[in-house]
Formats: sequence, C-alpha cells, structure tokens
Amino acid sequence: MSWILVFEQLLNGVQLGVTLFLMAAGLTLVLGIMNLVNLAHGSLYMVGAYLTLAATQWTGNYFAGVALGLLGALVIGMLVEVITLRALYERDHLDQVLATFGLILFFNELVAILWGRASLYAQLPEWLRGHVELFAGSTYPVYRLSVIIVGLIVAVVLWYVVTRTRLGMLIRAGATNRTMVAALGVNIRLLYTVVFGFGAALAGLAGVMAGPIYSVQPGMGELILIQVFVVIVIGGIGSVRGALVGALIVGVVDTLGRAFLKPALSTMISPTAGEAAGPALASMLIYLLMAVVLALRPAGLFPARG
Amino acid sequence: MLEVRGLTKAFGALRACDGIDFEVREGETHAVIGPNGAGTTTFISQLAGNLLPDSGSVHFAGSDVTRLPAPQRARMGLARSFQITSVYPDFTALDNVALAVQARSGRTGFWKAARGDASLVEPAKQALQAVGLGERTHVFAANLSHGEQRQLEVAMALATEPRLLLLDEPMAGMGTEESQRMITLLSRLKQTKTIILVEHDMDAVFRLADRISVLVYGRVIATDTPERIRANTEVRKAYLGED
Amino acid sequence: MRSRLILWVLAIALLVALPPVMTAIGQTFYIDLVRRIMILAIAAVSLNLILGYGGLVSFGHAAYLGIGAYSVGILAFYGFTNGWLQWAVAIGASALVALAIGAVSIRTSGVYFIMITLAFTQMLYYLGISLEEFGGDDGMRLKAKSQFAGLIDLREPITFYYLALVLMLASVYLVYRIVNSRFGVVLRAAKSNEARTRAIGFPPYPYRLAAFVMAGAMCGLAGALYANHTNYIVPGLMSWQHSGDLMFMVILGGMASTAGPVLGAFAFIFTEEFLKVLLNWVAPIFGKRDWAEYWAILMGPVLVLSVIFFRRGLAGIFYKPDA
Repeated sequence: MSWILVFEQLLNGVQLGVTLFLMAAGLTLVLGIMNLVNLAHGSLYMVGAYLTLAATQWTGNYFAGVALGLLGALVIGMLVEVITLRALYERDHLDQVLATFGLILFFNELVAILWGRASLYAQLPEWLRGHVELFAGSTYPVYRLSVIIVGLIVAVVLWYVVTRTRLGMLIRAGATNRTMVAALGVNIRLLYTVVFGFGAALAGLAGVMAGPIYSVQPGMGELILIQVFVVIVIGGIGSVRGALVGALIVGVVDTLGRAFLKPALSTMISPTAGEAAGPALASMLIYLLMAVVLALRPAGLFPARG
Repeated sequence: MLEVRGLTKAFGALRACDGIDFEVREGETHAVIGPNGAGTTTFISQLAGNLLPDSGSVHFAGSDVTRLPAPQRARMGLARSFQITSVYPDFTALDNVALAVQARSGRTGFWKAARGDASLVEPAKQALQAVGLGERTHVFAANLSHGEQRQLEVAMALATEPRLLLLDEPMAGMGTEESQRMITLLSRLKQTKTIILVEHDMDAVFRLADRISVLVYGRVIATDTPERIRANTEVRKAYLGED
Repeated sequence: MRSRLILWVLAIALLVALPPVMTAIGQTFYIDLVRRIMILAIAAVSLNLILGYGGLVSFGHAAYLGIGAYSVGILAFYGFTNGWLQWAVAIGASALVALAIGAVSIRTSGVYFIMITLAFTQMLYYLGISLEEFGGDDGMRLKAKSQFAGLIDLREPITFYYLALVLMLASVYLVYRIVNSRFGVVLRAAKSNEARTRAIGFPPYPYRLAAFVMAGAMCGLAGALYANHTNYIVPGLMSWQHSGDLMFMVILGGMASTAGPVLGAFAFIFTEEFLKVLLNWVAPIFGKRDWAEYWAILMGPVLVLSVIFFRRGLAGIFYKPDA
C-alpha cells in the first residue's frame, strides 16, 4: 500500500467532507435557529444537481449552468419555505418530519418524471477534466481539487459571516436563545427566510458540485441527507464549527474505510474475512462512529449551547 | 430528618448557594423564605436532586443522598411539588394521584389494568378527599382550575406517603380565597407530616411554620421561630432594605 | 363505549367476510392487498406503542420489519424451515437490535432522537445491501414459506389471510393491555410530563427502553409475516421511506388510540392504490397508457396537506378521546 494512494484517498475524504459540510451548515443553522427539522434539505441538493445538468446542456455553457442551478435551488428553497414550512414552525418535530417527508416524495417523483429514474452523469468542461500533479508521482483530478477549494472558501466566508457580522451575531444568538432575539426587536420572520435561503443555496451548491462526481438520480438527496444527520449528531446542533469538523471526520472516515478496510482486514485476519466483513463494516463505519460519539458526548463535539 | 452541610452551587461567577447549613427536624414545618434571587430555587432543586451541588452534602433520613438522582430520592420518601403547576393534563385527577400511589408501591406490571386496581385507586381517592378534591376525581387535570391543580399536586405528593414534603411555592398565582383554602389544607397536613415550605406569601409562612430559615444571596442568615424571625434586625434589613 | 364495541364487531365481521366474498366475485387481488395491509398494521400498532403512547419519535421502525424478514429468509436459506423457530428468531433478533439501538438513542431526545434512529436504520439498510451472500441490493427469494407442521399452511392464501387477521387483532389487544397496565401508565406519564414523573420516583429511561424493545419485537413478527407474504426479502424493506410510511400510518389513524394504527394502515395503502387507479384513469386523456408508477407525485402533497390540516387522524372522527 503506497502512501501516495493513502494521500489521494485522504483528499477524496476531504472532498466528501466539504460536500457534507455545505449541506450540514445550512441544516444545522435551520435546526438551531428555527428549531425546524427539514428532511427536504436533501431535495434542494438534488434540485441543484439536476438543474445544473439540464441548464448546462441547454445553454451549452458550464458557468451559466452552475448559475442557473444555484439560483434554481435558492428559488425553490424559498418557495418551499413560504408555501409549506411556514405553517410548521409552531408545530412539533414529528409534524415537521412528516410534512417534509411528503415533500421528498413529491420532489423525487417530479425529478423522475422530468428526467427519468436512471442515473445521469454531468459533463464537465474541458479545463476541469484533467489532472494536476501535486508532487512527483502523484496526480489528482482538477475537478475534485476545485471542489475542495470552493468548499473551504465557503467555509471561511461562512465563518466570517457568522462570527464577524451583525447577521452572524443574530444567527448565533438565535441558535442559543430564540426569545431573546425576538425581544430585541429583530424581524424573526425575515431572519428565518434569509437563513433558510442561505441554507438552500448551500445545499444547491453541494448538489451542483456533487453532480459530476456521484451519479445524479432521484433519491440522491436522502442518501446524503442521512450522512449529514450523522455529521450534525457528531458535531452538535446549531454549531457551524461542529458541522465543519463533523463533516471532515465523516468524509475522511467513510472514504478511508471504503478504500482500505477490506485490504486491511484481508492482510491482518484473512482474505475471506476481508472479503466477507470488509464492505459491510465499511458501510457501517460512520454510524458506529456516531454511536461512540453519542456514548461519550451526547450533545456532540461542539454543542452550541453553553 | 434532613441535614444540609456547606451546600455550594455556582453558575459562573454567581454563587447561587454559598455554603448553606440547614436542618429539618422530624415533624416540624420548616419554611424557607428569601427575597427574589436569593437562591431558593437553586437550593430546592439540590434538595430534590434535580441539580447537583458543587460541594457540601445532603443527608436524608440518615443516609447521604448528595449524589442521588431525583427519582431515587423520591423513592426514599422525599416528595416535592413544583413552583409552576406540574400535573398530567391529559390524565384525570384520579389517574394523576393513582400514579403517585403506584410509585410508592414500587411494583410494576404489563398486563393488569392499572385503572381497575383497587390497591391503587382506593388510596388515590382518599388522597383526593384529603385535599378537598373528592368530587373532582374523574375530571381531566387540564380542566381543573388553577387552585384545584395546586391541590392536586399536594394530593400527589401525599399519595407517595412521603417522610418529607417539599412544597415549592404552593400558593403561587392563587387568589385570596384559594390561598385561604390551601392554608387550611396545609395546617391540617402539618399535624402529621414533616414539611419544607418555600413560599413568598408571608401570611401563610407565619401561620404555618414552626421554624423559618431566611436565605439571602445564597446564605442562610437566620433560622429561628416565626416570632424571633419577625424581630430579627438582620432579616428586616434584608427584606425591607433598612440600611 | 357501546358504540365503540359495535364498530369493532362490524369491522372484524367485514374482514372475516372478505375472502369468501372476494373469491366469489373473482377479485382475489383484494385478499392479497388486505393481507399486506394487516401485516403492515401490526408494524404500525407496534410503532404506536412507542410513538403514540411513549412520545418517542422513532424514524427507524422499518429496521425491525427488515430484521424479522431477513431472519426468516436466512434461516430458510440454510434449510431451517420450522416456522416456530423462524418466528422466534425474528422476534428475538428484532428485540436485541432494538435493545442496542434504544440503549444509545433513548439517552437523547428531540431532534437527536429522530436523526439517530434514522441513521441506525440506514446503517442496517447498508448492511443488507452489503450481504452479497443474501442477494445484496437485489435481495433474496424466500426458499420456502415457514412450516407449521400440519397446523397452518401458509401456502394457502386464505389461511394465511386469517392468520394475519388474528395476529393483527392480537397485537392490538396486547398493546391495549400494555398501555393500560402499571407499566403503560408510567410510559404515558413520562410523555405527558417528564419532570413530574421523575419527581414522583419513576426514571423514564428503563420504561422507554422496555417499550422500545417490545415494539421492536412485535414489528419483527410483522417482518416474519411480510417475508412470507411477498416471498422476497429486499434491503429496501429497511429504507427510510418505509419507516416514514409506518409513521404516517400511525399519524393518519390517530396517535395513541387503540384502533388508530390499523385505520391508518388501511387509509395509507388505500390512498396509495386509489392514486394509482386515478392516474391510470387520467393518463389516456393525455394520450398516455400507464401513469400508475408516478403515484408519489400526488401522494407527497396529500401527505403534506394531511399533516397541516388533519392533525387528529381518523380515530378522531370515530370517537372522542378516552374519558
């Protein structure tokens, strides 16, 4: 096993991590501030991926596709907020889960009707298709590297907004004490819509970037959504920092597990053991990690409160 | 019965309880009073086991309960009522109390209907009678008046046959008439029970208490009979701001 | 009370009469459909124990449906076709997994609990997919239906139907007894007012965990029945959609009501079937032949609307809350 391979897989893990982070950041803020469980967050990710794919084909321009994809996720996210979610803020979590479950059924089916149930693969422009040489003997796809860079830039911007601006102050205050923010005379409804739109755009961005890497298909949103739940449970609800750390941990653990658990078990125990238990264990790894974190730190690594 | 030594609890820089020594004797009604923010709520929570102290000890009926969680203290015979009314709104008055009886009995079961169990229902009816809710047994707690809900809470505390009743502001939010009824009820209870009474209604405190402890800024500044407390200059200073 | 009894008798009479009537008019499809609904109703009844009465919003109840089904499938795969053994293993394995998942997740509450139960079930789903020996993603065929030597023959569709009916009624009665027992009163009390329950002397955790395990075990039995019903076991049984479906059955029927989950199971599947028929009926107008597969496009909004406007569920129409 060469170290170059490990390094590449580590980068892949970080790339999955930043994708998860973009999803988790929006979801954790919506949860922390509005106390809203939005299962349809994954649908916005899917919408971002599909719209980018379709708009790129339609305009023939990658940037136009990305812009339309992002805008589409934002607009649809806002529409969903205004039409259905507003009726649910005062309801309990059970109602929110059920209603947004209904939304998922709708979006998945809509996408299946428009684009079919088969997986699609997004095309990249020429300049994003190549590889770069990181150091002697190691090349890495330009596109995945770009995803990491964009993700980290967003993380930095988000960190700046949350910790250094007035909006960020309100967001942090809202995550710890909602009534206090309302008492300060802030327009809570507007704050909600802004934060929700923010989250929708981030989910859309994650979908836009994931399109060329993973297959684009109905239901893709929920596969990542459940991983994002693991991220949030590990990181702690309402904490952007927790979302980042949790996402990177989950991304790296999942990727390395899938890449190396089978060969590792094969050499350490026996080839049959690796063959039999490797893939099963690799797919369960992040959930087991979640169980361990819960046992040790029930409120996650970075609880927003206290 | 209950003995507290050096109880300390701080929230950041705020010392809500600052080395409290406190003792309740068998059979007495011991009131705890203090101006707002004196730390009574924090103190009571530590007695009941909802909050753990930073240091100090709580002994109840001869054993150290300092680190014991609330349900276990309740099983040892320490029953509490809450400052904010806390009943089961979707249960009838009878079911509320029957549950408390069940807690005392310590037995559980998965098959036999609890509602038809005479060993639960009969003592529950008696406890409701004792607090004057005998006519209201089948009313949902949510549909009882505020005063009746407070009576119900006392009935629930009674039904566990406690060795010590911890009553957290039983008069809170009551009108005059309701308060009078509660005072009558408590003066009957105090004949047979050991009671800790936390209350802001001074009329009630001075009529019911055998001894009073005054809590100011997390410290007990005086423990004495009602007459002596009334005459205590330090207490007057703390309460009336006579500097 | 009396009218409630009459409704029960009527409903049971209807279900008993269904197979001969449907056989007579040649609509055996409905026997199959109702049998499936009754099996899912057992799962919904078990979920109601923890969700409706215990207040535990478990988004992972389909896990036990899957474990029950795989227990039967795997035992049959290795030649163990004795039904008593299979079903006992299905119940036992589901109870064990529920114990493990519950022990970790019941320590948390609120959103955490929802996300964690969902995540653990997803883990089992992926485990099912990675079991190449048992068909992986495609699932496995049940080699032979569970055998109850001479007693019951599950290959007889109508015998199987009546068995499902009896087991469904038994599960309704079992949960009814549990929630009205001393144990059940504490479980409901902990949902109604947790602080109060602690103060009286009941720590909620062991009660909730016990209920969680019971619900898991009961759902495991439903899973064993389901495997025999479909003859095919797929990881998709444990998917998050299935867990969501079960939750909807409980909610549509009316939470914390005796008959609610059964009503909900019927309402949910009937709505699904109705939408398929509706779409097939509309399709020719637009020159298309078959739209039934797109039923979810209508089901989604119907569910959203039912949550927003139809809070008390079907049981709320039939009777007032317990007095």
